Formats: sequence, structure tokens, C-alpha cells
Amino acid sequence: MGFVDYVQAVIDGLLFGTTYSLIGIGFTLVFGVMHKINMSYAAASLAGAYCGLVGPQLLGLPAWTVFPLSIIAAGAIGYFIYLTCFRFIPLASPLATLMSTVGMLLLLDEIVVHSTAGMPQNYPAIYDGDPVEIGSFILRADLLGVFLVCVAAMAVLLALLYRTRLGLATRAVAQQPVAAQLCGMRLQAVNGLTFVIAGLLGGVAGAMIGASVGMLSPLISGPITVKGLIVTVIGGLGSIPGAIVAGLLVGAAENLFQALRNVTERDIYVMLLLFVFLVLRPGGLFATARGRD
Amino acid sequence: MLDVKDVVTAYGKIEALKGVSLSVEPGSITCLLGPNGAGKTTLMYTIAGILRPRRGSVRFGGDELVGQSADRVVNRGIALVPENRLVFPQMSVTENLAAGAYLRHDHGEIASDLEKLFARFPALKERRSQPAGTLSGGEQQMLAVARALMSRPKLLMMDEPSMGLAPLVVEEIFRIVGELNRDGITIFMVEQNAHMALKVAHKFFLMEQGKVTFAGAPGEVAQDEVIRRAYLGSAKAT
Ligand SMILES: Nc1ncnc2c1ncn2[C@@H]1O[C@H](COP(=O)(O)OP(=O)(O)OP(=O)(O)O)[C@@H](O)[C@H]1O
Ligand SMILES: [Mg+2]
Repeated sequence: MGFVDYVQAVIDGLLFGTTYSLIGIGFTLVFGVMHKINMSYAAASLAGAYCGLVGPQLLGLPAWTVFPLSIIAAGAIGYFIYLTCFRFIPLASPLATLMSTVGMLLLLDEIVVHSTAGMPQNYPAIYDGDPVEIGSFILRADLLGVFLVCVAAMAVLLALLYRTRLGLATRAVAQQPVAAQLCGMRLQAVNGLTFVIAGLLGGVAGAMIGASVGMLSPLISGPITVKGLIVTVIGGLGSIPGAIVAGLLVGAAENLFQALRNVTERDIYVMLLLFVFLVLRPGGLFATARGRD
Repeated sequence: MLDVKDVVTAYGKIEALKGVSLSVEPGSITCLLGPNGAGKTTLMYTIAGILRPRRGSVRFGGDELVGQSADRVVNRGIALVPENRLVFPQMSVTENLAAGAYLRHDHGEIASDLEKLFARFPALKERRSQPAGTLSGGEQQMLAVARALMSRPKLLMMDEPSMGLAPLVVEEIFRIVGELNRDGITIFMVEQNAHMALKVAHKFFLMEQGKVTFAGAPGEVAQDEVIRRAYLGSAKAT
């Protein structure tokens, strides 16, 4: 392995890292409005991707339908999680939603294992053309497709948050819920919609993870949950730009560690990266002084 | 215009309002006085639909507000400038104002209201793209008032708008309150600065320990021994 291989590893990692960015954004969005972590989020995203497979596998729909179906299913699961794990749970207790969402994480994983008999399921690539060569480096076509889809999803999200009425309400509820209500925004409606939006994003992430790995397996859910949380912490809870950058960073770093050492040691170094951040920059990448309030 | 009857609002087992009744006349400036912890903020939030009362009724122009959600109350024409201002700190001044117009869909009118408010509050215009969290206390108070006005309220409620502000800014706020009232907006305000309030308000209520204990016109307030001692200092009011 030479220098070129390491750079190549970083490139691949950056492309795949956009899926981690999406998962990180989802954690952060929900944290923004609820001030709670939805532990079941990554599992729900992958469950959405599994649901997408129903189209081609059971209904005989064309292979490409797996992508929109995954996204829609994950959005619906997001709303279901809001109803079951947040809406009627006493939010004042810090542990209550942690327990309910961990329970949901286990439940979703269990449902997936049962309905697939624990067997990995093939997942189509988003794009399988020729790789793009740039000098001595190559951009894998499937990863390039994943990258473009994830970046497009982020662009849509940012436009939604900063250019629409719903986005205004989401940010208002996150920053000052009482004043948001005084402006006529309905807390529960905004919270529910935030779960749907986060769910849709997770669906994109889940589908793109399936598309780049080439399959879905129940074993993916744990590591993606952990990496999503790492991305959220490194990016800073509540920061969307932070989650985007942290996702790329974790994606690049894990691939580089894998090239430098090997796949079994890889996650040790990712954890160490988290440790370094917790010690040196506990507020996350873009931690700033908070406004007066 | 606003009729509050026997309202009881509780936090858990503690009743903060123990049967409050008062009314606000259309076109008036009505002022609510009371010591810390009397329940003034609780009453404001109850009227605004943020808190749900145990008992009682809040009528506004004939409609019952108890049981309505906060967005319905805004839609009926009541806006609250909350205690501590509660601006959206990471949003720009313009976005804060857009949030105030959240329930409106008349985009042309919203834009012209925005320009009118910028003319009334020039400091906000200068800082229109600055995050609200970086404004001074006085500017944030102006922003909170402007945001409430963006919903085009008939009744504007203000919870201690002069709290923690310099005398010059307090005067500015009272000048604006007078202006708004002349423009036809009814004002219901909580105010500890009784000297200032006496200059503008038409009607006073005193609230103590969750009950209204005095109601009267400015002249009667100045005569009332208890209020004078508590709010106007020992010097004789003029
Ligand atoms: N969220 C809450 N939970 C429990 N008790 C509360 C809560 N908010 C207020 N209270 C209590 O209700 C009572 C009335 O409070 P409120 O804030 O309405 O008083 P206030 O008249 O606005 O006082 P101030 O002049 O200090 O603003 C107080 O005894 C207060 O401790
Ligand atoms: Mg108060």
C-alpha cells in the first residue's frame, strides 16, 4: 500500500461519508426540536430501506422503485416513532425517551431479523456505470451516485429549512418553543413533521448505505447507530453544518484507518477519534458562544 | 373586549391563579400591577393559550378562549410580548418578524407591514440581517414588540416590557405603547414601573397571591395607600 492507495481510501471514504452526514443530520434535527436523542433513528433508516425491497421482491415492481419506496417508508416509520416514543411520553424525565427509543431500536431490528430470517438481502446500486478516472485515482461509479444523491438530499433539506414556512417553524420551535407558539406555530404538528423529515433523510441514507454495500444485513444497524452518534457528537448536537462535515470526516477517517491497519481494527480508531473530540472539543466542530437567552 | 372570569390556573398542585376576574375595555390601555410571584405572567400565558386553566372563562369579543390552542388565540387577534422577550436568538431580525406573521398569507401586506415597522423601529432596520441574539436588551424588546405586531393584533398584551432596561429605553417603549393605542390597538400590560404606567394607562388592576385585590382608574391608584407605598415610593404622587 502506498500513498496513492491512502488518498484513494480517503476519496472513497468521503463519498460514502455523506451517508453518515445524513444520519448525523437526522439525529441533530430531532435533538433540535425535542432536546432528546432518538436512539432508534439509524435502525429506522435501515428498516425503511428494507421496506423498499418489498417493491421489487414481493410486488414485482422495477428495481429502481426500491429507492423512493425506502425513503417514503422511512418517513412513515419516523412519524410512527414520534407517536410511540415521544408524543405521549413524559418529556421532563430525561430517561423516558432514551428507554422508549432504545426499545424501538431493538424492536425494529427484531422485526427485520424475523422477516428476512436473518439473511442478508441484495440491494441494487444507485448507478453502475464506468468509474471516473482522475490521474491515478478512480471515483467508483456507485459511490459517486451515492454521493450525488446524498448531497442533493442535503440541499433539499437546507432549502426546506431556510426557504419555507415549515422550515421557519422548525427553527423557531428549536430555538424558543414558547415564542413559537405565541407566533401561532403548533408545537406538536411541527415536532411530528420534524420526525417525518428526519425519517425521509434517514431513508435516503439507509438506501444509499444498501446501494454502496450491495446488500442489507441486520448486522449493519449497530455500527451505523454508533457512527451516527459519533458524527452527531463530533459535529456538535444541533448543528447541521457540523453533522455534514463530521460525516465526511468519519467516513474518510474510517476508510483511511482501514487502509493503514485493517478492517477489524478500524472501528477502534473511530472510537479514539470520538474520544479525542470529547476531550479537546466537547461542544463539537462548530461550537460557538450561544446567543444571549 | 377581554373578560376574564374566575380563572384558576395551577402548576401541579400549586394554584398560581386562585379565581382571577378582570376585564379590558376596547381601545384602552390597561395595566396589571403586582409583586413578584403574584401570578401576572401565569395570567398572560393562560389568556394566550399556552397554559390551560383548571376553571374559569376567558372571553374575547364574545368568543370563549379557554380550551383553544395558542394559534387560535393569535388568529382571533391577541398577541403577547412575553416576559423576557423570548426572541429567536439564531434567527435574523427579519426572520423573527416573519415568524410573527406566521399565520398570515397576505404576502403583499406582510411586506408593507414590515416596512412600516422598520420605520417605527429604525434600530431594527439597521440590524435587519443580524442574529436577534446579538441585539442589546432594548433592541430585543423592540423586536419582541414588532414581532407581536406582525400578527396584526386587536389586543396587544405585554409582560413587563420595561424590565431591566435603561430609563431612556423605557420612555421609548411607553411612547410606542401610546402610539399603538392611538392607532386603535387595545393594550393590556403587566408593568412594575407604576410611575410610567400612571402616565399612559386608563385602568389599573393589582394582583396579589393569585387574586385581583384592587381595580381602579389612575386617580384612585394614586390615592390608594397600599399601592402608593409599594409602587410609588413614600413620596406623594403628583
Ligand atoms: N413553571 C412553573 N412551575 C411551577 N410553578 C410555577 C411555574 N411558573 C410559575 N410558577 C409559580 O406560580 C406563581 C406565579 O408566577 P408568575 O410567574 O405568574 O408570577 P409573576 O406575577 O409573573 O411574577 P414576576 O413579577 O416575578 O414576573 C409563583 O409562585 C411561581 O413560583
Ligand atoms: Mg412575570
